[in-house]
Amino acid sequence: MLEIEGLEFRYGERGLPGMCFDLEVAAGEVLSLIGPSGSGKSTLLNLIAGFLEPAAGQIRLDGVAIETLPAAQRPVSIVFQQHNLFPHLDLYTNVALGIDPSLRLTPTQVSSITDALERLGLSGLQQRKPGALSGGQRQRVALARALVRRRKILLLDEAFAALGPAQRAEMIGLVKSLVRENDMMALLVSHQPRDALIASARTAFVCEGRIETLQPTAELLEASVLPAVREYLGSA
Amino acid sequence: MNPRLIPAALVLGLLAAIVVAPLAGLLNLGAMPGYESADLQFWQSAYLRRVLFFSLWQALLSTLCSVLPAILVARAFALQPSFPLRGFLLRLFALPLVVPAVVAVMGVVSVYGSDGWIPFGRSLYGLGGILLAHVFFNLPLAVRLLLPHWQAIPQRHWQLAEQLDMNTWQRWRFLEWPALREGLPGVLLLVFMLCLTSFAVVLTLGGGPRSTTLEVAIYQSLRFDFDPLRAVLLALLQLGLCILVASLSLRLQRLPEVEITVDAPTPTPGPRIRPFHLALILLAAVYVAMPLLSMLLDALAGPLSKVITRAALWQSIANTLFIGLSAALLSVSAGWFLLRYSASLALAGQPGRARLIDLAGSIVYVVPPLVIGTGMFVLLSPYVDVFSWVYPIVIAVNALMGLPFVIRILGPALRQNHARYHLLCQSLALSGWNRFRYLEWPLLRRPLGLAMALVAALAMGDLGVIALFGTPNTATLTLLIYQQLGAYLIPDATVTALLLLLLCLTVFWLLERGLGGRLDA
Repeated sequence: MLEIEGLEFRYGERGLPGMCFDLEVAAGEVLSLIGPSGSGKSTLLNLIAGFLEPAAGQIRLDGVAIETLPAAQRPVSIVFQQHNLFPHLDLYTNVALGIDPSLRLTPTQVSSITDALERLGLSGLQQRKPGALSGGQRQRVALARALVRRRKILLLDEAFAALGPAQRAEMIGLVKSLVRENDMMALLVSHQPRDALIASARTAFVCEGRIETLQPTAELLEASVLPAVREYLGSA
Repeated sequence: MNPRLIPAALVLGLLAAIVVAPLAGLLNLGAMPGYESADLQFWQSAYLRRVLFFSLWQALLSTLCSVLPAILVARAFALQPSFPLRGFLLRLFALPLVVPAVVAVMGVVSVYGSDGWIPFGRSLYGLGGILLAHVFFNLPLAVRLLLPHWQAIPQRHWQLAEQLDMNTWQRWRFLEWPALREGLPGVLLLVFMLCLTSFAVVLTLGGGPRSTTLEVAIYQSLRFDFDPLRAVLLALLQLGLCILVASLSLRLQRLPEVEITVDAPTPTPGPRIRPFHLALILLAAVYVAMPLLSMLLDALAGPLSKVITRAALWQSIANTLFIGLSAALLSVSAGWFLLRYSASLALAGQPGRARLIDLAGSIVYVVPPLVIGTGMFVLLSPYVDVFSWVYPIVIAVNALMGLPFVIRILGPALRQNHARYHLLCQSLALSGWNRFRYLEWPLLRRPLGLAMALVAALAMGDLGVIALFGTPNTATLTLLIYQQLGAYLIPDATVTALLLLLLCLTVFWLLERGLGGRLDA
């Protein structure tokens, strides 16, 4: 269980209103975050990943506080919309970096990479460089790397935004089964309400630096009475 | 027919006249006065071997001493994206571009000469002094050329490196080196080429036949030994070397392996302030600032009134201004017409030919000014008194030397302007003078002003072809400084150098602001 409690973030400049988040994600859950751009979705992910420092508040995984750990020691993997892979390295190396950036791997670790690539339908492409792949394949490589890292929390920051609808649905299905198989949890930031519908039983609506509401996805998307949500969805 | 073709063709014709005709003059060896086939044994002489070896050796050492530290300094700047004075120091590193070579030489003499802060003794004149001056110019240049390669690393990669727990070595290996690798060969070759063709520095600090480069040997053959044939042979050798280096750098430009991206370039996230990085930056800044400061102090304590009461000084100031401003006007107009034509070619779906036009403007990288000067000397001297042709020749060659800068500064803005508004202009029938007045001048005056300012400052500070053709009456300030140095009037030369520097900076500032408009405009 991931618990986020009173997690505050302030920009360097004075006068800007700060952000404050409270959220709980259960093991095995894929939780979606939707909301207008600039509302704080990516900021929340960056706080969890440790790229940004909170002004106050706690992040706990299974009861253990992690908000003071450096980014590298957090139980977190993140997948961005782009630039997830190093373009001059082949797929195998890109995935292997997730285990150990010195690339000194045990035979077990090597076979875990092969397994992960196979699980994501990338076998046979190990020697390819990212430039020779499609957008969808590149995101699969990033997921393979998340898989071999064996970290509990998976953050997807508009990871599939550049893909077409069918591919997005396929990738989300893949994420759901990976999370279930490996007992992880995922936070999915998306601009497509349909993604949330496929991905998550529950969806959080982020607005002006806080979680405005957390509801069953279908309810939030179809029957929300909150004006901010209706305005965002264009259903006013 | 494209109406922009005519002015562009005229410019290309002029380029050909300035570059190709002298080369033809060089190649027509048989018509040289006093030509005998026995002279060709010169190719095997020990003199030539020594000059050739020293040219390459000093260029190689200068390149390594400039670029290797520049990698460290650029990295320090990149990894420390915010600290006090960062912007100021980066601007300081742009300064050597407009500092005339003779001024830098006076600064080097002032710091490292026998009365300087760090006396080098007699070994200053020779390889030591040449290296000190070349590093002064090329270290800051290399820093500024290399820094964008770090800035091209996506912010996402820095974040991944953080999440994947990469240490400094691994970040260098997986993020920084791959980004740097694309640009490093180009920077190395550019600096090598600049040092290979460096004239004023070697002429003034070389200190004798032991440390003479091809570029200076050409000058000595022509001006002192009255041996045009030897000058021509040396010039041909120099030309061959430059073509070799230039073709190498064209071949080495690898296509970068990059992911197609929609991101705007992002600043790299700042790790903690590292004293080591700041120390490196400070050291480089001190190295660049010291010669200028020391020269300033020396000049203020120097024979100021004696120097400024000489009529020769005012004559050379007038000559310098005339040559600088004429060269700037010629260079910017030529660049303008070339770029307008290449922009219309690019928009018409002929980017290859457009690039070729732009490359033609950078021909001076391959054909060094002294080679052109020698060719003109050989070509014209049978028919006219070349010394009375000094102004047109020096202005033309300086304009040619400024052209690559004009193309780099003005090109991107002009192409963008053309791509955005050309169709609109056509539909409004906005053309010619009206198009310039209402569209191009308001939108392009900033880069136009900068290009004009830079070429004027460079031409005013150039000691090159003027040394071949100048006489006491037609001397520029740079030539005057060289003559003062030759007469061991070092205090006078220092004062004159300060005046030259002030003149260059003033003209630069006036043109950049006057033409480019105020920053908030």
